[in-house]
Amino acid sequence: MLDILLPILIFAALGLAAIGVVRRVRLWRQGRPSPVPLVKGLASVPRRYLVDLHHVVARDKVMSNTHVATAGGFVAAAVLMVLVHGLGLAEGVLGWGLLAASATMFVGSCFVARRRRNPPSRLSKGPWMRLPKSLMAFSLSVFAITLPAVGLLPDNFFEGSVSWVLALALSAVLVWGLGEMVFGMAWGGPMKHAFAGALHLAFHRRAERFSTRGGEGKRSTGLKALNLDDQDATLGVEKPSDFTWNQLLGFDACVQCGRCEAMCPAFAAGQPLNPKKLIQDMVVGMAGGSDANYAGSPYPGQPVGEHQGSPQGPIVAREGKALVDAETLWSCTTCRACVEECPMMIEHVDAIVDMRRFLTLEHGNTPNKGAEVLDNLIATDNPGGFAPDARMHWAADLELPLMADRGEAEVLLWLGDGAYDMRNQRTLRSLVKVLRAADVDFAVLGNEERDSGDVARRLGDEATFQSLAKRNIATLSKYRFQRIVTCDPHSFHVLGNEYGELGGPGMPAQYEVSHHSTYIAELFDAGRLHVKPWKGGGVTFHDPCYLGRYNGEYEAPRSVLKALGIELKEMERSGFRSRCCGGGGGAPITDIPGERRIPDMRMGDVGETGAELVAVGCPQCTAMLEGVVDATAEVRDIAELVASALTEAPEAFAGAAQQSSNRPQAVEVA
Amino acid sequence: MAFDAIFQPIEIGNLIIRNRVVSTAHAEVYATDGGMTTDRYVKYYEEKAKGGCGLCICGGSSVVSIDSPQAWWSSVNLSTDRIIPHFQNLADAVHKHGGKIMIQITHMGRRSRWDGFNWSTLLSPSGIREPVHRSTCKTIEEEEIWRIIGDFAQAARRAKEGGLDGVELSAVHQHLIDQFWSPRVNKRTDQWGGSFENRMRFGMEVLKAVRAEVGDDFTVGLRICGDEFHPDGLSHDDMKQIAAYYDATGQVDFFGVVGSGCDTHDTLANVIPNMSFPPEPFLHLAAGIKEVVSKPVIHAQNIKDPNQASRILEGGYVDLVGMTRAHIADPHLITKIKMDQVDQIRQCVGANYCIDRQYQGLDVLCIQNAATSREYMGLPHIIEPSEGRKRKVVVVGGGPGGMEAARVAAERGHDVTLFEAAEAIGGQITTAAKAPQRDQIAGITRWYQLELARLNVDQRLGTYADEATIKDLKADIVVLATGGKPYLDQHPEWGYSENPEESLIVSTWDVLNGKVEPGKNVLIYDALCEFAGMSAADYLADKGAKVEIVTDDIKPGAAVGGTTFPTYYRSLYEKEVIMTSDLMLHKVYREGDSLVAVLENEYTGQQEERVVDQIVVENGVRPDEGLYYALKQESRNKGQVDLEALYDIKPQPCLSEDGDGFLLFRLGDCTAPRNTHAAIYDALRLCKDF
Repeated sequence: MLDILLPILIFAALGLAAIGVVRRVRLWRQGRPSPVPLVKGLASVPRRYLVDLHHVVARDKVMSNTHVATAGGFVAAAVLMVLVHGLGLAEGVLGWGLLAASATMFVGSCFVARRRRNPPSRLSKGPWMRLPKSLMAFSLSVFAITLPAVGLLPDNFFEGSVSWVLALALSAVLVWGLGEMVFGMAWGGPMKHAFAGALHLAFHRRAERFSTRGGEGKRSTGLKALNLDDQDATLGVEKPSDFTWNQLLGFDACVQCGRCEAMCPAFAAGQPLNPKKLIQDMVVGMAGGSDANYAGSPYPGQPVGEHQGSPQGPIVAREGKALVDAETLWSCTTCRACVEECPMMIEHVDAIVDMRRFLTLEHGNTPNKGAEVLDNLIATDNPGGFAPDARMHWAADLELPLMADRGEAEVLLWLGDGAYDMRNQRTLRSLVKVLRAADVDFAVLGNEERDSGDVARRLGDEATFQSLAKRNIATLSKYRFQRIVTCDPHSFHVLGNEYGELGGPGMPAQYEVSHHSTYIAELFDAGRLHVKPWKGGGVTFHDPCYLGRYNGEYEAPRSVLKALGIELKEMERSGFRSRCCGGGGGAPITDIPGERRIPDMRMGDVGETGAELVAVGCPQCTAMLEGVVDATAEVRDIAELVASALTEAPEAFAGAAQQSSNRPQAVEVA
Repeated sequence: MAFDAIFQPIEIGNLIIRNRVVSTAHAEVYATDGGMTTDRYVKYYEEKAKGGCGLCICGGSSVVSIDSPQAWWSSVNLSTDRIIPHFQNLADAVHKHGGKIMIQITHMGRRSRWDGFNWSTLLSPSGIREPVHRSTCKTIEEEEIWRIIGDFAQAARRAKEGGLDGVELSAVHQHLIDQFWSPRVNKRTDQWGGSFENRMRFGMEVLKAVRAEVGDDFTVGLRICGDEFHPDGLSHDDMKQIAAYYDATGQVDFFGVVGSGCDTHDTLANVIPNMSFPPEPFLHLAAGIKEVVSKPVIHAQNIKDPNQASRILEGGYVDLVGMTRAHIADPHLITKIKMDQVDQIRQCVGANYCIDRQYQGLDVLCIQNAATSREYMGLPHIIEPSEGRKRKVVVVGGGPGGMEAARVAAERGHDVTLFEAAEAIGGQITTAAKAPQRDQIAGITRWYQLELARLNVDQRLGTYADEATIKDLKADIVVLATGGKPYLDQHPEWGYSENPEESLIVSTWDVLNGKVEPGKNVLIYDALCEFAGMSAADYLADKGAKVEIVTDDIKPGAAVGGTTFPTYYRSLYEKEVIMTSDLMLHKVYREGDSLVAVLENEYTGQQEERVVDQIVVENGVRPDEGLYYALKQESRNKGQVDLEALYDIKPQPCLSEDGDGFLLFRLGDCTAPRNTHAAIYDALRLCKDF
C-alpha cells in the first residue's frame, strides 16, 4: 500500500511546495529591482553555504555540528526519498544512503531537541519549538519506510492488518514531516529559512562578502549610495516594497537564532531595538499582517501585537503605530555586531539606514539633536556648527604643513571633526608628535577639510553626505599623497569604503586609507619610533566598531600596544565581538532612551578585566567612555600612549634627528 | 564648546598666538649674572609654555640703558649684547612647547633707586622726586634723551637677535616714556614737554627708532595705563587720545592696558589688585582703549579663572587676557582647562605674596605653589607617583603645611591619613579669611579640599590625634604640622591666662574666629605689624568697635607688603581706626568693668594709659611641640630632617633605609613660626620623594 501512498504523498508535498514557492517569490518581487547574475548566483550557493556561512555558524561548535547533521541529513534524505520512494529506485546503494541520511538527520534532530529543552532567551519559541519534533517525525518515518526497501525488513512488512495500522500511522508521521519540511519550507514555516536562505546566498546584494576559488571573501561594509537624481523614486525605504527584492529575500532567510539580539548593544541597554525582531517585522510587512505571532524577545519596553504592516503600507507611521516605531530605527549604533553574528548573512544595518533615509530625507524627522546636527553640517561642514575657519585652531602652535602649500606629501593626515573637540585635540597633538618623532613626511588639508559625512550618512541624510563627500573628493584630487592616515575610524571607513562610488570623471576616489594604529604599527616595525617601557598598570583595548568589524583591523592596535611593552588584559567581548561604545551611527545625537547607557556597560566590561586604563582608537569611543561616571579605568587613545612613551632616538639615529632640526619641534600634547 | 573664546588663535603683528591667554610682563627678580636670563628664568617661562600659555611677555621693567639700575630687582639687562645667547635659550625653551615670548623693555627714569651698584643719577623730564621709591633725580638733557632712544633701538635688536618674538615698550607704571607723557611729572617747556605732541615726542621717537632697527616683521607693542587716577595726571580720555595717536602710526602691533598709575603707594595697590578688589576692576579702562585702537588689546588685572576670562573675551572688551598671577599660582592653567580639569586649577587668591616680595627686591614666589620658579631646582608642578613601595603616611594638622604634605604624599600614591582637630581643614588660613576683604585667601584651602578629596586622602576632621592614635595606625611616616598657639604669655604683666574668665587680653585669633565678642572700645597691641593685627583691627572696626592699633614698631601694617598695606589703610582710615606707633604694651590691669593698658614709648620711656573694654594682643605664634616630643624618641630618625638633602631638593636619606617603626618629620609653625609659603615649601620639598 505504501508503494502507492508514498509517491502520492511525496509528489503532493512537492506540488504544494511549488505553489508556495511561487507565492513566496511573488512576495519578494514586490521589492525594487536589483539585477543579479541568476545562474552564477545559484551555482555559487554550495560554496557560499559550505564555506562562508559555515564559518559563521561554526563559532558555535555544537550547533554547527548539529546543523551539519540535521541539514545535511535532510537534504540527502529528501533527494533520496524522492528517488527511492517517489520514483521507486530502491536498488542498492540509494536505499542504504537514504537510511544513513535519515539516521544522521535523526541524530541531529536529537541535538536540536536538546537545544530546545531549555532554550536561551535569544531563541524564538512558537513554531520553532515544534521543529525538533518535526525533524524527528520526518527522519524517523523516512527511516522506517526505507527499512523494507533495503531488505532489513521483509518487503511485505507493512502489509497485513496489523502492519496496515502501522503503515497508516507511519504515513501520518511522514505527512507531518513532509508538511513541515517540504510544504512548510515554501509556505512560511520555520523551514522557510532553508529555501530563502539558499536563494539569499545566491542573490546576496554584497556578493563580494563571499569567498571564491580565487580567495577569501572581502569585507563589504560601506553603505550603498542612494540615487538622488531619480525624481520618481521615494528616497529611502518608506514601505516594505521599497526594499530591493533581494533585501526582502534576505529577511526571509532569518532563522530567529537571536545571535544578533545577544550582541546588540541597544537591546542590551534596553532601548527599543532588537535586530531579530526588526527583521521579523520586515517579514510581516512584506506579507502583510501583525507581529502578534512573533515568538521571540520583543523590542525592550514594547509589547508584541500592537504593530502591523503591509507591503504597500508605511513602515513607520507619522502618527500612531505602523510596523515599527521610529525610535527602534534610531536606537541603532550601526555597530554591525548583528551583521557580524548573523549566520544567514542578513544585512540589518543596510535596512535600518535605508529606512532612516526615508525618515530624514522625505519627512525631515531626525529626532532630538539630529536635525540640528544636519543643519550644522549643511551650514558649516561640521556637525558641531563650529566656524569652518576655526578647524585648525587646535594646532595654531604646531605649524602643521598644509597641502595647499605643499601640493604633495607622503601622508595626508586626515583630522576629522575631532579637530574641534578639546579632548580629541589631545589625541591629534599626540599623533602629530608621533609622526614628527618618526620624521614622517605629512601634511594636512587644514580648513579645506570637511566632515567626512559619516554622521550625515548614518542619520540617513544621503544628500548632505554626498555633498560633503564630493567636495572632499574634489579637494583631495588636487593633491598628491601616498595614503591618508587618520585617528578617526569613521573617517577611515567613509574615505576608504564609501567614497569610491562617488568619484567623478578624472576624479577617482579610491584612496589607501590607514587608521593611525596601523600606521604607527608600521613605524614601529620600521624601527622609526623609540619608546620607553610601559610602567603603568593593567591595560585593556576597546576595538572601535568602525576599525574592527567595519575594516577588519584588530591586529595593528594590539601590535602597537605590544611595542609599548603593554600586555593586554583582553575583554571577553573584544575583537570581532567587541561591544560598541554607543557612539556610532549618530546614536548619541538621536539619543533614544533606554534602561542603561551603552558606554556604562562597556566600561563594565573594562572593569571586569581589572584594567586601570582602556586604550582606544576612536574619538567617539573616547568621548563615550570618558563620559562614564565613576569609571574604573582611564581612557587613552593609542596615539597618546605612544606619544607619552617616546624617547630620544638612540645614538645611531642622532645624526638623522639633527639633520632635520630645522623643522618645527614636537609640541606638548595638551 | 566650553572656553571656546579662550582657544581662538589671534594674530599679533606677524605672530600667531595659539590662544588668548597671556602671562603679562612682571618683574621676576630672577635675572642673575648682571641681568641675564639664566637657568631659573628660562625654566620658569618654559613651564608656562609647557602648560599651554599662549604668549609670555617676560621681563617686566627690563632695562635698555646702563643708567636705569637693574640690580635692585634682578631685572633683565638689555643694555649689552651679552644678553643675546641667553635670550636664545629662553626663546628655544618656550618655542619648543608652542608658546611665544616677548620681553618688556624700558628705561625707568626716576622710578628706581640710586643708592647702590653704579650709584646712577636717575633721570626724569623735570627732575621731580618719585614718592614710592623716595628717589630724587636730575632733569634729563637733550643728549641723554637721544642716547636713551638709541638704547631702546639696540635693546630691541638684541631681543630680535636672541630669537624672542617681540618687544613691549613700557609706557606704564610711570616709566620714562610715560613720565614724559604725564603733565604731573613733565613740566618741560622745550620740544619734549608742554603740548600734547611735545609730551608724546619721546615715546614716538623711541617707537620710530625701534621700528627702524627691527623692521616691520618683528612684533612691537606698547603697554600703557588706562587712567593715572591723579587729578593732575593723565585721565582716561587723555589715555584714549594717546593710544589713538600711537595707533595711527601703524607701527604698534598691540596695546597692553593697565588701569591706574603707580607712583604713589595708594595707586600702586591698584596696579596689582589684591584680594580686596573685585574681579577685573579696570577692564572698562582697557575696553575704552580698545574702542580707539585698531590693534589687539591685552588686559591683565585680577583675571584669575577661565570662566571669567571667557566671559571677558566673549564680551569683546579686550582681545587677550593677562592671567599673570594666575600662572604664577598654576602654570598649567591652560592645560587643565583643556583636560577638563578646571577644578584642579590652583587659583590665584590675590594674596600678592609674589609682587610684595618683588617690591622688596626678593625673588617672586607664590604663597601657595612652592614649585613656581623653582623648576630649575627640580621641584615639580606635577607630582609623579612613586615607583617605590606604598607607604602609610599620617599627617597631623590640616593647615597649609599639613594640607600640602597630605596632597603630595597622596600624589605619590601613598595611603594618607590627615588629622585635623578643627571641623575643617585650613588652619590659620581659615582664621585669616574671617577678616573683611580677606575672605579670598580661603581659596588656598578650597583647592586643597578639592585635591585631597580627589586623591582620596582619609581626612579625620574634628579629631585630635594623640600619641596613641598615631601609633595605632602603624604609619611608615608621620608628618607633624600641628602649628602653634598665639604667643600671649611672653610677658606676665600682660595678664594672659588660659582661663578666658581671668585673662585680661585676647588674641587676634579669638577675635577673628568669633571666640570672643567684639568689644566696643578696643586696643590692639600689634608687635608684628603683619596681617593678623591689621585684619583684627579691620574686623573689629567693621563690627562697630572704636579701635586703636598700637605698635612699638614703625607703623601698624609696616610688615605687610606694598600692594596690601594700602588697601588695609583705605579701610582702616575710612573706619576711623587710630594707628599709633612707637609704644610698647607694658602692662594691663583691670579697673572696675574696664581694662587699662599701660603703654610705654620706646624712645622716651614715657608711659601713658588707655581705658578700654577689650585688649587684643598680636605677638606671633609659639610652636605646638607636645606631640613632637612625645613621638621623637621612638621615631627611627629622631625627628630630624636632613637639611642638606632638603635644601638640595633631594630625598631624605632615611627614606631609603630599612628599619622598624616610623619616620618623623615636622613642618611649618610647629617647628618655628614662619609663613604660609614656608610651610608649603617645606612640605613639598620634603614629601615629593616619599
